[in-house]
Amino acid sequence: MTDEDTGMNAVLALTAWAVAAVVYVAARALDTEFSMFWVFGLAFGFVLQRARFCFASAFRDIFLLGHARNMKGLLLGLAVGSVGFGLVMSRQVPLTGLGIYPPSANVLPLGIHTGLGGLLFGVGMVLAGGCVSGSLYRMGEGYVASWVAFAGVMGGLLVSAYTWNWWWEAHIATAPRVWLPHWIGHPGALVVTLLALAAVYVWVVSIEHRAGVVVPPPASGARPETESVVDDLRSTLRRVFVQGWPVLPAGALLGALNVLLFTAREPWGFTGEVSRWSIGMASIVGAAPGPLAGVESLPGCVLVPSDGLFFNHMLFLVLGMFFGSFAAAVGAGEFKVRLPKRPVRYAQSLGGGVIMGYGAGIGMGCTIGAFFSAIPSLAVNGWVFGGFLAIGAWIGTLIIQRIA
Amino acid sequence: MTHTKLDVRGEICPYPMMRTVSALKKLPGDETTLEVITDHPPALETIPTQAARLGFRTDIEETATSEWRLTITRNEAEAEG
Repeated sequence: MTDEDTGMNAVLALTAWAVAAVVYVAARALDTEFSMFWVFGLAFGFVLQRARFCFASAFRDIFLLGHARNMKGLLLGLAVGSVGFGLVMSRQVPLTGLGIYPPSANVLPLGIHTGLGGLLFGVGMVLAGGCVSGSLYRMGEGYVASWVAFAGVMGGLLVSAYTWNWWWEAHIATAPRVWLPHWIGHPGALVVTLLALAAVYVWVVSIEHRAGVVVPPPASGARPETESVVDDLRSTLRRVFVQGWPVLPAGALLGALNVLLFTAREPWGFTGEVSRWSIGMASIVGAAPGPLAGVESLPGCVLVPSDGLFFNHMLFLVLGMFFGSFAAAVGAGEFKVRLPKRPVRYAQSLGGGVIMGYGAGIGMGCTIGAFFSAIPSLAVNGWVFGGFLAIGAWIGTLIIQRIA
Repeated sequence: MTHTKLDVRGEICPYPMMRTVSALKKLPGDETTLEVITDHPPALETIPTQAARLGFRTDIEETATSEWRLTITRNEAEAEG
């Protein structure tokens, strides 16, 4: 990329951030919570794009390539999140012997729906080439197939809403919510969680070693000679806004942002909000799924019935993630409209999206809500969902190798 | 010397890498180089690793906005050793 390109990209990116600032001011005039969630969304989208922090590849590449780049970042993010969530929850529920749950942590009913939700989500995200957050940030980069996948997710969430009451009656209503601090106290739960994350780390490193050589990413991050303060600042700006980020700091930052969001209101997660959009659209055409049993009593990314309103704080989070990624991609010169040439890719993205959406509906969240925010909630459902995500990703990897 | 080209622009993740790997495996023994055109940034990390595992080295050149040419060359010395 020439300096001229970089300058042009900087102008485009500054324009995008100016638009983001205008939205901030407008959102703040409606409700201060809207503007706060807009900023969180922008921050999540920016970090996801800069590091190309893809949950689907974190799982898939272990099986497909024997490569754990993204999984290592993910594990670090989970560890940072667990420490932060653990501290917050120990203040929210000081006495763990009373059977009380932290009000907004993602401690979800644990049952067959958790495993099947994770399994379907894992298959779907590999088929579609990205999970829900991955599709959102790739939509901002100009991947048309990710827009198709996102539409599929909306459809899958709607289908899950039609079957929700059956799941509720048969499984979810009576399923236990298993929160580790109830069993082993706050310190014990945190230590067990961190040890388990370390064990997964050892496992993925051993897989990498069995697979052999991993070529380090191109050394674009090499620091050029800096002669003046201006040069030095310019090189720092380039490393933040133009060059891709290493995945470890990005994972830690996403974990820390998640802790901040949890402290401010609730953990990171948004498939509940996306379900509100699809259920809302269905009700416009008179195809609403009807009352959803029990959803008001559940935390996390459980399905949200249409409330007839347009604005919601979570709307700003989701749109912020998309726009933050778009602004980041434009600034780095990574925005490009990418149209798959093979028709099968559109079918694959749509089908993968539908499968993912259904899994997120019954699993009460995606790789974020039911996993990245659930393991730090020191909840067993996060581990079960994650384990089945891995199995699903393995099955998905077998499938994509058979689709040319 | 013949030169095989592969255009994987527009492909979704992880097909740029998978199609490159299958092209490398099918590369005739008398050809040393595969040229890949991609617009998928993650492939700039996955392709060099998979190519190295198959005994190739990768040179990356940015040709346009978010578009790269990867020149993947057989590592003759290593293949013989």
